[in-house]
Amino acid sequence: MRCDHCSHDVPDGAFCTRCGAHQGTTAESGNPKTREHRYAAHPGEHVAQPSVITTLFPHLGHHKVHEFRWAFIAGLAGVLILYLAGLIAAAILVSAFLVPVLYLIYLYEAQVYRDEPAMVLGFTIGGGIVVGIVFTVFERIVYNPFQYVANPLANASVNIGGLLILGLLFPVVQEVVKPLPAFFLPKRADFPETVDGLVFGIASGLGFSLAEALIGFSSVVTSLPAHVAPGNWIYDLTTLAVFQPLLQGSATGMIVATIWRYRRGRLGRREIGAVAMAILAHIAFSAGTEVLKETSVNALFILIWQAAIVGALLIYIRYLLHHALLDEAAHMGFAETVCPSCHMHIVASGFCPNCGMALTAAPNAVKRSRRPRVDSMAEAPAKKR
Amino acid sequence: MALTCARCGAQNPDGNQFCQACGTPLSAAAVGAPPPPPSGPPLAYASPPPLPVAYASPYYNPAGAGPQAAVHRTPWVLIISAIVVLILVMAGCGTAIALLGANAPGFGGSVAGLPSPTPGTSPSPIASPTSAPGATSASNTAATVPLPAGWTVSTQDAETLIVVNPNSTGSVSVASGPSNPRMTAQQNKDDVDKSLRGKYPDTAPCPGSKTTTGNINGAQGIFWNLCFTLTSSGRSSPAVASLFVGANSDGSVYYLVMLATTQSNLTSFTAESKPVVQGIQWKLK
Repeated sequence: MRCDHCSHDVPDGAFCTRCGAHQGTTAESGNPKTREHRYAAHPGEHVAQPSVITTLFPHLGHHKVHEFRWAFIAGLAGVLILYLAGLIAAAILVSAFLVPVLYLIYLYEAQVYRDEPAMVLGFTIGGGIVVGIVFTVFERIVYNPFQYVANPLANASVNIGGLLILGLLFPVVQEVVKPLPAFFLPKRADFPETVDGLVFGIASGLGFSLAEALIGFSSVVTSLPAHVAPGNWIYDLTTLAVFQPLLQGSATGMIVATIWRYRRGRLGRREIGAVAMAILAHIAFSAGTEVLKETSVNALFILIWQAAIVGALLIYIRYLLHHALLDEAAHMGFAETVCPSCHMHIVASGFCPNCGMALTAAPNAVKRSRRPRVDSMAEAPAKKR
Repeated sequence: MALTCARCGAQNPDGNQFCQACGTPLSAAAVGAPPPPPSGPPLAYASPPPLPVAYASPYYNPAGAGPQAAVHRTPWVLIISAIVVLILVMAGCGTAIALLGANAPGFGGSVAGLPSPTPGTSPSPIASPTSAPGATSASNTAATVPLPAGWTVSTQDAETLIVVNPNSTGSVSVASGPSNPRMTAQQNKDDVDKSLRGKYPDTAPCPGSKTTTGNINGAQGIFWNLCFTLTSSGRSSPAVASLFVGANSDGSVYYLVMLATTQSNLTSFTAESKPVVQGIQWKLK
């Protein structure tokens, strides 16, 4: 068939395997060329759907998404059980480790690091942990929380000094230092795609989040009795297990993905907006949390605020990644492979002609199982001569 | 020998299994077939050529019909198991650390043995702000507070003064203002309890501490200690607030003194802040 949009002759299918455009649709179901109703990493979802797993774990196939989602839910259930049992110190530790450990399993599953697991993990999660330790120790020196304990009998008020430090200074500095490990990753040319940069950035941010949580809560873990009344700990545990790591990972992932786009010479408004979005979202998250806490708003509203910020970040990441995948997958050659999303055996270039998944976001095992590209096969005999 | 695609007629290098123009498998029937003679309108406007018998759909299935299982590296049992092991290991570690921490010397004793901040039975003389070298004072519409050498004002507004010691290991909050509606000292205490419980997850009376009555420099009120975890921006400290709240005779003015520090530092910080508390001069009567 001939693609409605790029006019290439391509195998029959609902999607053009070269440019990913949705074939035979009208503008009523969205722009078929940008096909935002079919997220390129997981075509069953809309780009604007703030799904955690399919956004931050973009290489996972259809079944694996569900497995990781259930694993995440199992971890949260574990935190809840520990909370209800009054084992708060244990719940804090599980909360701090849950998302980073899940991401480590994902990196293994997707083999994003290809043949360099030690180097990639060291410069992403490991580097994030080191940066997190250094920054959190610095944070403790700079910020004394006892200076900003508000008068409990005064009307709700916000301490401007504390707010500027926690809500502006720290988020901006964190967003500057967190991408550094991924930025200095050696052999970057081996990982040229934006989805690689996104995953490395998320891993670095999660390493930072782990170190921040462990150091930040170290004194509480070592001083709390083994069993205490659960009290209001559920709110802090929710932030620690879900929103804090998702914020740190998402924000850093967006910034590193933008750096990757810049290195490909594709820096545009969308990418610059991603950096601005990451910093502003982090500021809004931290400052909003402090303001709501100081004004004694119900802790549930603080969680709702945090969820709204993280949700907005996730949607922007999907928006950024979707267009990067449409751009980058268009240059792949034809090969025989299995689509990780719909599991069909296909002959495809950059996109599955059946479901439209961008095959650059396939797990590395799937990429390796592709037959050699046509152009490289054609070059091989020439080199022998 | 060039391979000609049976579907689109494109020439492909020898060895190709798929057409590099359209991805159609290059079947045996197509190998070596001559390219179709150019005829008719230009290619860009040509209708797609009729599909030859050798044409195969891109959704082919060499092993049989139906979708195939994707490549799975990690069985789902291992993924779930990893999370369960994480929970069990961390639960064990957390419990062990908590047990060891709870048995550490000095934690319980320092809270239990805390004296209330200068609970005198009569108004105390105001300490002279110039009694120590480098000493000064801070003042607002509610109170004047002496500042020993090295102490600094952290926050100041019309009702509240917060001062910190030279090492920044704790703070003393001194506050006073009109109560509207009028409140007794006990009602003020209830408000403080409610406020701190709302902000910090585990606010509770410190183990072994007692609630007593007394006054600070003419302000009559209640002394008690609250222990809680001070959480902010992904960090936390086990904190204690040694509190005094009072009210004037008709309940129209409140008085508050709050020593906030870490639980392990309470005894030494109370001693360090004694000159500050003893020197408070209330302006609202």
